Amino acid sequence: MPGLPGGLLRGGLPLREGREAAGKWVGVGSTNDHADVLIVGAGTSAGVAARHLAEAGFKVVCLEQGAWVDPGNLPGNKPEYELAGSKNWHPDPNVRGRREDYPVDHSESDLPVWMYNGVGGSSVLYGGIWARALPSDFRVRTLDGVADDWPLTYEELLPYYQAVEREMAVSGLAGNPAYPPGFEPPQPAAPIHRTGRTMAEGMNRLGWHWWPGTNAIPTVNRGKEGQCVRYGICRMGCPEGAKSSTDVTHLPDAVTLGAKVITRARVARVTLDERGRANGAVYLRDGREHFQSASVVIMAAGGIGSPRLLLMSASGRFPAGLANSSGLVGKRLMLHPYAASVGIYEDDLENWLGPAGEHIGSMQFYESDPSRGFVRGAKWSLLPIAGPLEAAEKWTDPRSLSGEEFWGQGSAARMKSFVRMLQWHVVPEDLPEETNFVSLHPSLTDSDGLPAAKVHYRVSDNTRQIVDFNLARTLEAHEAAGAKKAWVAGRNFMTGHNTGTAKMGDDPATSVVDRFGRTHDVPNLYIIDASVFTTSTAVNPTATICALAKRTASYIASNAREQEVAA
Amino acid sequence: MTALDLSTEPGDASRARLAALADVLIPGGSGLPSAGDADVAGQWINRALTANPDLASAVAHALASPGAPEEALRDLRLRQRDVFERFAFAVAGAYFMNPAVRAALGYPGIAPRRLPAAEGEAEYYLEDEILAPVVDRGHIYRRVPA
Repeated sequence: MPGLPGGLLRGGLPLREGREAAGKWVGVGSTNDHADVLIVGAGTSAGVAARHLAEAGFKVVCLEQGAWVDPGNLPGNKPEYELAGSKNWHPDPNVRGRREDYPVDHSESDLPVWMYNGVGGSSVLYGGIWARALPSDFRVRTLDGVADDWPLTYEELLPYYQAVEREMAVSGLAGNPAYPPGFEPPQPAAPIHRTGRTMAEGMNRLGWHWWPGTNAIPTVNRGKEGQCVRYGICRMGCPEGAKSSTDVTHLPDAVTLGAKVITRARVARVTLDERGRANGAVYLRDGREHFQSASVVIMAAGGIGSPRLLLMSASGRFPAGLANSSGLVGKRLMLHPYAASVGIYEDDLENWLGPAGEHIGSMQFYESDPSRGFVRGAKWSLLPIAGPLEAAEKWTDPRSLSGEEFWGQGSAARMKSFVRMLQWHVVPEDLPEETNFVSLHPSLTDSDGLPAAKVHYRVSDNTRQIVDFNLARTLEAHEAAGAKKAWVAGRNFMTGHNTGTAKMGDDPATSVVDRFGRTHDVPNLYIIDASVFTTSTAVNPTATICALAKRTASYIASNAREQEVAA
Repeated sequence: MTALDLSTEPGDASRARLAALADVLIPGGSGLPSAGDADVAGQWINRALTANPDLASAVAHALASPGAPEEALRDLRLRQRDVFERFAFAVAGAYFMNPAVRAALGYPGIAPRRLPAAEGEAEYYLEDEILAPVVDRGHIYRRVPA
C-alpha cells in the first residue's frame, strides 16, 4: 500500500512547502485576487478539496452559483416538512426552480436527475449513507469482462477513504464481512431500531448478509456538528447540523483558513492561456461578468454540471469542449436508477426514527454471479420513512404495484399501517454506455442565459435485470421478516448519483482524466466530482467522491513544484 | 384555468366543495377523521399550498371540475391523471398536517422532533448475538487478482 502523501497530514512537511511552491506560480494578471487554486463549485468534493488545500497553505477560491444554507430555513422540524420537501427542498432542480438551479431537460431520459446547487452541494440533501466501493468495483473489466477497470485500486484509495471518514464523522460498526478487514468507522453505529431488528431476523432466517447502517451522520457530538437527534428527515437537510454535509464539515474550516467562497457566482466558462493552460474562469454575478484568475483550476460542479461547463468552455483549441479530445466529456452517464419494495408488518416499528441514512444495509447480492443471467449487482438499504406523505406514496406512486386503491373507503386502515411499514431501497450498478450522455440544450437556458443541460438516458437491460432480481429477493426478505403484505413500491427512482461523464483512465484516447483527476488535455485542470467515476459501482457514491477529491487535493499539494501552471 | 389565489380568502362555497372532494379521497374511519372533519378545506389547505404553491393549480382545477364529488374526481383521474395525483397529494399533505391526524397515525409531535438515542440503545438492538450468523459466514466480498 502506498504511503500517505504528506499533504494529508496537518502540519506535515508538504503543507508549507506546497504553499511556497505555489508562491512561484505565476498567474495571469496576478493580483491580490489571484487564486492559487480555483474550484468551480462549493459542493461535496469541493468542500473536501478546499479544506485540504487551504490547510496546505494554498490560496483557494470557490465559485458557487448558489448560497450558504441557513439551517433555520430547513424544513425537517416544521409541520410542513414533507410539503416543503416536495417543492423548495426537492432534490430535483426543475422542481425547486430557484434562480441558481440551472434547468435540466430530461425529456429524453427514463428518469430526471437530482442535485442541490448551493454551498455543500448535494451533500445538503443526500441521505448520508456512507459506503466505500468494493475491491471488485475497481476491476470490472478484469472480473466480468464489461466496462473498464479503474486506473487505481481499492488499496490505493484506502488511506483517503479512511481520512475522509474521520472528516465526515462516519458512524458504523467495524467488521462488516462484505468488506476487506480494516473498515472501522470512527464513530459508533446508530441503533438499528425496531425496523432493522425486524428485518435482520428475517435476513438471518434466509442466511443473507446484513449489517448495521454506516452513515456520515455523527452519533457523538464533536462540537461543530451536533449528534444525530433522529429527526429522520436527513434527505431534506438536517436542521441540527448533524449530517455531514460539507457546508458543515469542511467549508467553514476552509474559510477560517483563508479560502474564499464566492456565492451567487455562476461560472460561464473556464479560460485558457496561449499555451492551453487553464488560467481562470469567467463568471456571472449580479448580472455582471467577472473574471477569476488562477494557477490551477478544479472542476467540482457535479456529474451534470462539470460536463456542462466543459462543453460550454469550447474554444478554438478545444472546439468540442474543454479537455474533450477523447470525445467523452458528458458521455457514459450512469444514474443508479433505484427501486424500492415495502412490507406491512404486525407491529408499530417507529419507522420514522432517523438517521435516514440506512438502519441496516445488505451486500448479499452485490457481487456478480453468472448464474443470474446478468453481471454486477446491487446494494440494499433499509431506510426510515420520513412521514405519512412518503408512506402514502408507496401506494399512490404510478409505479407502485400495491394492487390496492389507496383513496376512498378503506384508506383510513391503510393509513394506520404507515408506521408498520418497512422499505428496502435497491441501488443497482449502472454500467457505462456512450448512448447515455449529457449535452447542452440548444435553446433552454438558466437564469443567466447560459445553456441548460440535457440528459439522454435509458435504463439498460443489464440494469433492469439487476433490479428485477433484487426486488424479487427483497420481497422474499419481507416475507421472511414477517410482513403481512409486501409489494414493489416503484422503480427508476432518481438518486442524485450522477456519475461517469468525465471518465478516469490511463489512456487519453479513451478517458478524460488520469488517475489523479488531472485532465489529459490540460495539465493544470482537474476534475474531482462523480464525473470521473470509471464505473458507477452499486454503492452510494459520496464516500468515493470524497476519497477521490482528497486524493487529488493531496496530489496537487504534494506535487506543486512540478505543477505546470498558466503563464 | 386560473391559479388559486391565496391572497384572497376562498369563499365558503369553494371550501365546502373542497371538503366534499377531499372526503371522497379520505372518508375517515378506524379512529381517523374524514378530510372534511379534519378541516382540510380550512387552515390546512392554506398551509399546504403555502409550502408548495405548485399544487394550487391542481386544487383549482379539481374545484372547477363539474358534477357530484365522486364523479368529478373519477373523471379527473381518468382524463388528467397527473392533475388528480397532485390534487390528492395536496389534500393528503393538508390532512397529515393536522396534529390530531398525525397523533392518530402514531407519529410523535406536530413535526419530527429531537429524540437522541439513549445510552446503550444501539447495543440493545443487537442483543442475542443477532449478528453472529453474519459474522460466522465470513467474508463475502470478491477477491481481486493482484
